[in-house]
Parts: sequence; structure tokens; C-alpha cells
Amino acid sequence: MSGSDLLAVIKPEALKAYIWLECSDGSIQQVEEEVAMFCPMICREIMKNGAGSSKSHAIVLPERVNPASLSLVLDYCRFHQVPGRSNKERKLFDEKFVRMDYDKLCKLASAALSLQLRPLVDLTCGSLARIIGGKSPEEVRDIFHLPDDLTEEEKLEPLENFNDDPTIRLLNRLYAKKRKELQERQRLKDVQVQEEQKDERSLDEILCFINGNGGSGGEKAAKNKKRNKKRKDNAKNSAKANPGPVNKEGASCGVPNKADSDNISRLPCQSQKLQDDIEFPFEDCYSDDGLDPAMREELDRS
Amino acid sequence: MGRGGSRAAPAAAMPPWHALPDEVWEHAFSFLPAASDRGAAAGACRSWLRAERRSRRRLSVANCYAASPQDAVERFPAVRAAEVKGKPHFADFGLVPPAWGAAAAPWVAAAADGWPLLEELSFKRMVVTDECLEMIAASFRNFQVLRLVSCEGFSTAGLAAIAAGCRNLRELDLQENEIEDCSIHWLSLFPESFTSLVTLNFSCLEGDVNINVLERLVTRCRNLKTLKLNNSIPLDKLASLLHKAPQIVELGTGRFSADYHPNLFEKLEAAFAGDGLAVSVSHLHKFHLNIETVNFQVMDLIEDHGLAVVASSCNKLQELRVFPSDPFDAAGQVSLTERGLVDVSASCPMLESVLYFCRRMTNEALIAIAKNRPNFTCFRLCIIEPHTPDYITHQPLDAGFSAIVESCKGLTRLSVSGLLTDHVFKSIGAHADRLEMLSIAFAGNSDLGLHYILSGCKSLKKLEIRDCPFGDKPLLANAAKLETMRSLWMSSCSLTLGACRQLARKMPRLSVEVMNDPERACPLDSLADETLIDKLYVYRTIAGPRSDTPACVQIV
Repeated sequence: MSGSDLLAVIKPEALKAYIWLECSDGSIQQVEEEVAMFCPMICREIMKNGAGSSKSHAIVLPERVNPASLSLVLDYCRFHQVPGRSNKERKLFDEKFVRMDYDKLCKLASAALSLQLRPLVDLTCGSLARIIGGKSPEEVRDIFHLPDDLTEEEKLEPLENFNDDPTIRLLNRLYAKKRKELQERQRLKDVQVQEEQKDERSLDEILCFINGNGGSGGEKAAKNKKRNKKRKDNAKNSAKANPGPVNKEGASCGVPNKADSDNISRLPCQSQKLQDDIEFPFEDCYSDDGLDPAMREELDRS
Repeated sequence: MGRGGSRAAPAAAMPPWHALPDEVWEHAFSFLPAASDRGAAAGACRSWLRAERRSRRRLSVANCYAASPQDAVERFPAVRAAEVKGKPHFADFGLVPPAWGAAAAPWVAAAADGWPLLEELSFKRMVVTDECLEMIAASFRNFQVLRLVSCEGFSTAGLAAIAAGCRNLRELDLQENEIEDCSIHWLSLFPESFTSLVTLNFSCLEGDVNINVLERLVTRCRNLKTLKLNNSIPLDKLASLLHKAPQIVELGTGRFSADYHPNLFEKLEAAFAGDGLAVSVSHLHKFHLNIETVNFQVMDLIEDHGLAVVASSCNKLQELRVFPSDPFDAAGQVSLTERGLVDVSASCPMLESVLYFCRRMTNEALIAIAKNRPNFTCFRLCIIEPHTPDYITHQPLDAGFSAIVESCKGLTRLSVSGLLTDHVFKSIGAHADRLEMLSIAFAGNSDLGLHYILSGCKSLKKLEIRDCPFGDKPLLANAAKLETMRSLWMSSCSLTLGACRQLARKMPRLSVEVMNDPERACPLDSLADETLIDKLYVYRTIAGPRSDTPACVQIV
């Protein structure tokens, strides 16, 4: 048998790469490369320093990663590094995964943090937060076996925490909805304009062709743009042309201090009339849903 | 982290698991849902206290004298948003002497020093000067949100500094402030390159604003979603403003009278085109109400029939406020009664917060309201004339308010009014477990009333009382309770100076402020124990007695 034949006989699994990892207690273990690479810290060690390729050159893991935690981390990586999984599958896995006692959960969170595995950090810390939330200091001390070592003074903290105003979330939702609608209308309008242009151009081209002239499509397109702009401007002007009767009495009022403004809130607009006056307002830096990153983050949180 | 073989040293013992690195707890705390969770976590043990304080981003100083600004900045170095509140709530009714205190300047100075990355600042019932605003504009390079509520001491010059200096400003929210008009066109000081505004509220500004400048600002700020204007903007301009900023979802107009021009409203309606419009005028039923309306503020001119319309159309209503158009009109021309509130409570399933001024009420109505809406979190009923009984049975309204506290288990704020005896306080003390703020005026018949409150109400934080026959005994008997609360206000009750002295002696962590008639300012030391005091304000503090009291306020 030639060398190449030999190679053909060897099964593909045998060629899988393995990485060697060393825990804080000195124990060394082997793990599939693709699983280990899911961890940014390990990935960097492999790429930058070429570590982990053999037992004697194992990657030394941070102090807080003990074998039990490492095993859990690798289970997590092994599942999530498979690309084909749906979000639902991943969520289900995560929910089952974090069901462990507080001791293990804390150590796992710590290990994930040292390995810089952000999704696992979020999962474990989020889980811890759910345990802590809604409980009194005494209850928390009980669950986590914490020492009662604060002085009376320290317990008497008058400065509080405060969250975002909940009505902001409602406003954000209405706003996002509104922008989406406005963007959608503008997009439809653009498409409509384009289609009209296309039609006209092909007709002209045909005519030119028939008449034996050169392509004058470009000129036509420019003219069409101007025409549309004019249409927009006319619509704008017509709105201004009817200013309506001025409210002369508007200034006077006999109203006490407390209610100094009347709030008007509304839903996204359905009117056809309105969008004729819209200049395209949205800048390129926003993504498809028309939201800037800060806004999107806020919405995701709510 | 290098390469290396196995460690020669024996396996290091794992640290006890509750002594995990602060980072883990800091990260976990960032996921805590309720605002109060962080405080509870910080109270668990020393390492959590340290981790929580180091990572807290949002700080609420509910009483500016509870801690010193330097203390706050030192203990919470990572703060990005701070809100500070000053004067007691009854300052809104003129009960707090002028120049009482609550200066924002020390807070701005401390923040400028210790929180250079501060993004949000909110002051409520404080004295904010133009210098404060200038300092804010100059000290925080990423300043984004300024909210001033019921403040005073500044002018449009200060606003100009903010407009010119805060390049990343997202929100400028001015609510019910007293702003001096310096004829400075502050709005035009937002540079042409400035486009980050998301919320603009200048409804409390008395002066004029240039409509063209406003239009240009609104046009270039593409993210503007809340715009609340003042009277200087004529209503017919609203439509064109809206055309320039179609993405706005919350619009406030200045105050306008009921003498409207009908065409105007049609035009406004057209501008909103199909969204509907919640307009606060007496002819409400003529307009198509927005079913999305969540907060609704209106004058009592809406009357019962107007509220019936609100009840039937706004089924997503969460908060309702009805104010008196003419509080001194004893004749009661306006037909707003208990009926309106009963209707709204019956038809709006999400209604949880009510502020209602009216002239008459019955126990039956209150009992019905309590049954309809057990989900109230805030119930403030203000029957304008003190000691008003149930107008049908002539009984005190004890039964009605008792029904409210018994039914609304999640009630956190309550204002009572009308004719009330000690009985209602017994109910409140026993049932209002989640109540945090209670306002009482012209109610009760003896010390027992106050005692029921202070010995009950497990979650009570703020108690404000005026013109009630409550004396020294319940105050002294429940002194320890006061340390678990944020503050207590009592004015025109039956308290003596002697009791205040005793209280101050007994409770060193409380600040006991006594306020008398400014004309009568004489040193407290010379007055006898039996002297009746006019106003008492007690609050817990870790900062010791403040040094900025005016002559009529003395700390016992």
C-alpha cells in the first residue's frame, strides 16, 4: 500500500484536533479543539501563543477554573458551538443548564468570567440575579451563607437605586413602531418612483430606437426626479397655503399651576396625506429597523 | 499565562465560594430587576456592599440632606445618572418657608469633581441657579439628560448655557419650574450641528420662543419623540411642526382656554390623521380619543360626562389626573363629582394611578371604586373643602377609604381627605402594608390616629400631615419608626417644643427641624418646653445637622 492509500484508510474522526488544558489544581485534560475554541481566552492562547497542542504544552487556565467548573463550561461550549441550532433549542438548553445548586452556580460564574465567555457569564449571573431579586438582606444571607458583618451605620443607607421610568419604554415602543412605518412608506414611495422611471425610460428608449436616436435615458431620468421633487414641494406648499384661522384667544387661560400642559399622545400615523410632505429623514448610520444602537439596546432590554 | 508543564506546587485550596471576586457579584447585580433589589443586596454583607456600591450606575437621593454630596460621590464612584430631591412635598402648597434650603449647587460641585462621566441629572424641588447650569454644561463631556421639576432660582441664561454647551444632550425636561425670563433666546443657542435631542419640554416657560428657531431645531433633530411646548406657540403652528417631525409620539401644548376656535381642532385632528387626539378641554366628547392614551391630565371642566367618554374610549388608561379649575369657587359650578371617578375605575382595567380633585364624595362610591380597581398603586383623592362628609349619609368617609386600603393590596401612595375619624387610620395602619407615602389633612380626632399609622404601615417612608389634632405622645412612642422612614412633616398640629427636644435627644440619627412664623424668629433655647410649634420636619440623615438653615428654621 502506498502512503496515500494508508491515508485514505484512516477515518476522519481520528484527524480531529485536541487541545490540552491545565486546571488550577494541576490536573490536565484533553478536549476537542472546536469546543475549546468557543472560549475567547483559550482561542487567543491557541492562536497567539500556539499553546495547548500537547500535554507538556497545556494551556494553563486561570485560578478560578476548577475541574468541575471546567467540565460544565465545556459542556456549554460543546452544545453552543454547533452552528445549526435554533434559538429556541439554545434557550431550552440554557434553562436546563443553569439548574444547579448555588455553590456550583457561583463557581461556574466565576470560571466563565475568567475565561471571558460572555454568554455564559450573562447566563449564570442572570440566574444568580433571579435568586437574589425580591428578597430581603436576611433571606439572601441565608441562601448564600453570607456573614452578617455590616455595622448598624452601614445598614442604614439612605441613598437608593432607581430604574428608568417605565413610561419611557412605552414611548420607545411607539416611537420604534412609528419610525418603521415611516421608513416603510418612504421605501414604497421610492420603489414606486423607480418603477415609474423605468417604465418611462423604456418607452423613450423604444421610441428613440425606433426613431434612430441615441439613448437619452439619463436625461429623462433626471427630468423625472425633478418632477417628483416638484410634486413633493407642491404638496408641502399646499399644506402651508391653508394656515387656518389663528387662535387669538389661545394665550389667555385661567388655570392653576398644577396642569401646565395638556398631553397629547398618539399612535403611528396612517395618513396618506402626511407622508407626501416627508423628506427622507433617516440617516445611513441606522440599521434596517431604523433604530440607532442605543435605542435598540433599550428596546431589547424592555 | 504562558506555556508550562504541570504545576509542582500542591493544588491550591479554592477560596470559600462566597468570597468570589467582586466582578461576579457586580455582574449579577446588573441583572437585578427591581430598583430596590440593589439596596437589599448591598445590605447583605460587607463584600456585597462593596461590590454593589462600586458598580451602581443610578443613584436616587430622595432627601438631599440625608447624606452629604461628597459622601454620595465617594461611596458610589460609577454613577452615571443621579436624581436629587429637596424640599418637602408640602412646599407645593406654600407651607415651607422661603429660603428653607435645598440648594443644588453643592451637589453639582461634588458631581463635577467625582463623576466626570455623569450623563443624567435630575433635580426636584431644589434651588438651581444659573451658575449650576453653567457648571453642568462645562463639567460633563457626555451629559445627556437634564430634568428639573418644581425648581426655582434659574433663568433663560442658564438654559442658554445648557443649549450651547451640552453637545450630546438628549433630553431637556422642564416641569413646573419658576424660570426667570432674561429675554435671552436660549433656544437659538443650540448649534446648527446639534441633532441629538429626543425630548424637549419647556411647557413651564413663561416667555416667548422663536417659532422659526424651534422649527429648525425640530427638523434637524430626527430622533425627537417628545415635544412639550408652552403658550407662546400658537396652536395653528402645531400642525406644521408635526409635519416637520412626523416621528413625534408625544406632544404637549401649552395651556389653552376653553374658548377655542372649532376649525383649529379639526386641523389638529387632520394633522394627527387617524391617530386620534386626547385634548383637555370641556368639549371633549366632540373629539375622537386616542385609544392608546396612557396618561391623562385634565381640568375638572371635563365634568362627569367627559370622563364617561374617557372611560369608554381609553381602555389602556393607566394614570388619570383631574385638577380644579377654580379651587376657591365654593358655588361649585363645575359638574364633576364622584360619578366620573366611578366610571373611569369601572371601565379602565389598567388604571393604577389617580389624582382627583372634587367637591363631593360618598362611601358607596369609594367602596365601588375599591371593588372595581384593586390594582391601584396610587390613590390621591382631594375633596376641596376640609371636613366634607359623605354628602348623602353625612357620615365620615372612613368606610370608603378603608375599603380602598383593604382592596388595593399594592397601594404605595395615598392621600385622604373629607371628614375622617381615627377609625380610618386604624384601617390604614393595619392593611396598607405596601404604603410608602401618606398625606393627611384636616383629619382624625385624637393622638390615636397618628399612633395607628406609625405603629402600622410596615413600608411607610414619607408621612405628611397638616391641621390634624395629633400631639406629642404618639410621636415619642413611635420614635424608632421614624428612623426607618425617609421623612415626617407635621404642621398646624398639637406638638410642643419639649417633645421635639426629647425626640432629638433620643434619636441622634434623625434631624429634627422646627419652623416657626418668620416674624417670630427668636432663638429656640429661650422658649419653654410647652411652646406649641407650628411646623415640624424630621428626617433621617447620616450627614449630621445642616448648616444652611434660614432664621425661621432651627434644628433641635
